[in-house]
Amino acid sequence: MKSFTSDPASEPSSVLYSRCTVDLRSGKIHREDVPCRNLEDVLGGFGRSFQILAERNINHAYCEENPLIVNTGLLTGSSAMTGLRTYFSGYSPLKESKKSLPAAMWSTGSGNFGAKLKWTGLDELIFENRSTTPVYAVIRETAEGPLVELKPADHLLGLSTHEKIMALHKEYGSAHFAAIGQAGEQWENVYMGAVALSTDNQLKSGEDKMRFAGRGGMGSLMGYKNLLALVAQSSDKIKPLTPEVKKVNINVVKGGGAGRLLPISRGGGGGTWAAYDVLQTFHAVPVNNFRPQGNNEPEKLFREHVEKKFVIKSEACYRCGITCHNNVHEKSEDGSVGRFLAKFDYEPLNLLGTNIGLHDAAQAASLIHTCDNYGMDSISLGVTVSYLLAYNERHPERPLLNGAVFGEYAKIKELITQAGLGNLPEIGRGSKRLSESTGETSYAYHVKGLEIAAYQPETNPGYAWAIAGGHMSMGTYGLLTREGKSDMESWVQGITRDKLQIVGFDMIGLCKFFDITKGICTQMVVDCLKSEFGLDITIENLAASVRRAFLRGLALELRQGYEKAEYTLPAEVWERPNPNIKLPNITHPEFIAELQKRVWEIFEPELDGLLPQE
Amino acid sequence: MNVTIKLVGIFKIDRFKDAVREYPSGICVREVVDELRIPTHLLGTVLINEIHAGVEDVLVDGDTVCLLPFIDGG
Repeated sequence: MKSFTSDPASEPSSVLYSRCTVDLRSGKIHREDVPCRNLEDVLGGFGRSFQILAERNINHAYCEENPLIVNTGLLTGSSAMTGLRTYFSGYSPLKESKKSLPAAMWSTGSGNFGAKLKWTGLDELIFENRSTTPVYAVIRETAEGPLVELKPADHLLGLSTHEKIMALHKEYGSAHFAAIGQAGEQWENVYMGAVALSTDNQLKSGEDKMRFAGRGGMGSLMGYKNLLALVAQSSDKIKPLTPEVKKVNINVVKGGGAGRLLPISRGGGGGTWAAYDVLQTFHAVPVNNFRPQGNNEPEKLFREHVEKKFVIKSEACYRCGITCHNNVHEKSEDGSVGRFLAKFDYEPLNLLGTNIGLHDAAQAASLIHTCDNYGMDSISLGVTVSYLLAYNERHPERPLLNGAVFGEYAKIKELITQAGLGNLPEIGRGSKRLSESTGETSYAYHVKGLEIAAYQPETNPGYAWAIAGGHMSMGTYGLLTREGKSDMESWVQGITRDKLQIVGFDMIGLCKFFDITKGICTQMVVDCLKSEFGLDITIENLAASVRRAFLRGLALELRQGYEKAEYTLPAEVWERPNPNIKLPNITHPEFIAELQKRVWEIFEPELDGLLPQE
Repeated sequence: MNVTIKLVGIFKIDRFKDAVREYPSGICVREVVDELRIPTHLLGTVLINEIHAGVEDVLVDGDTVCLLPFIDGG
């Protein structure tokens, strides 16, 4: 990024970003400095990539015209804490409208790949067309600037995410990696392929402690393009910490920002796993395909029970003081740390545990580990499997696939393994398509074709307006449970004003845990931008840019054929209200209808002019 | 007056899961939180008799207060 202004909100074209376009069919590679069109371009991430996607008319995700855009945010690779994000964007093979048009999508993860990519001198890579043979891309820092090369990748075929990363690690020192697993390679039958991002911890320990850009099948799009991995090789370019950024970083860890996510031993809440205990108070932990039973079964995966049998190591992303990872290891007889099993975040633990009827930590860990190594999105996988199990429970006389039902670990593991190998398109293509094939769509827990996160839809009608998956792109998941808001005004305000701001993190390069409740429109971010780049960007500039980017995503959904009726929740929520959930009912048809009316009244007038003219 | 206190998640560590405790009348939730030395930045939700409430709400004899940690993302 080259900046010739200190006021990019007023003079965005005075900021240039470095883009490399790689034609996978011809092998031609073109690098250029591109002037920014607006502040969204300057900030980066999906704010920039969605403008590129909006310029293309794509009717099928698996077509050569659908690009895979890999970019970073302005603060990726900076000294601001959590500045490690990489974004993968394209039209999704998984998320589609009822008109079968693919939605624009992004997914993101941390790990060290993003910073390394930034340090090569590139801000963005666009992969066009597809290669006829398997390749991987090497992005390298050279004296003449960033250099991108394509290399044969036959030796990587069939390897898991972790195996690919470790194989490349042997060849490329001082590099970090992004790789798909077998699932992404089997893109025709797996639409939920994820991209694994290497971590320092992984490369040093040899343990498969990767991070993932999972949502929306960007790993499958990468597989379609025959692009199996990316290598970013550069020296580390961490600037000396300025007093201003140091103050921000301390505030992130010790202030309100992310203090709640610190390890319990350091006075924090212990990461996202803590959601189990809180949601169980309301009997709102998803159980057996989002049907909480009102019993104590979810408590079996509470941390306090799991740590009796396993060692839980609190670990962190590179240079991040939040230390939110809860890595579960076997406990040796003498109590010492044994084999690494899996990382326990709330979503994968629930969706590959309690929500499929498994309450045993070792079994849940095994499924998370399997999912991660084949390279699938744990949310989409878990929810699609839970749909299948629910179907089989309802139809014991004519079950699907191996007839697995809730709690049958061995059969479920077989389903996940076969899905990862591309042998079960029924699962690999997601819950929308599976439920449409059975004709029983009401209990398929997706919204707009993308499986929901592990927050009961009864607690979050905001799912309907999330533009890239439930809790990642609409921060309303705690509005009822945490804040106790059940009135219409609060929900309209939340969806249309406050909670959409969560997507700002997916522009600027920071993890949401930087300050999840306040977003990026804070003095902390303003101070980082000034200190790191000399840019004067106000809180108001940031808020306006994030809002435009969100609304552009919404406009793009509508252009891809989504109708307003699709902005809703799975029908089972009101067809069979769950009496076990101890919260006010805010998802009855009248509430949803009024919410839809009120939200669109606000959003619709703002959508004009956000997309290029046809 | 007697108030039943229920603690959730990490708040139970070195404290208790639930207990009936005696407080002077007119006490508010914040004073209970302070007395239990619960870090306020970790406090996400207060329920009084299973209804969402605030830390300034005043308690009465027989109330049940549930204190829940903040939850973030997934």
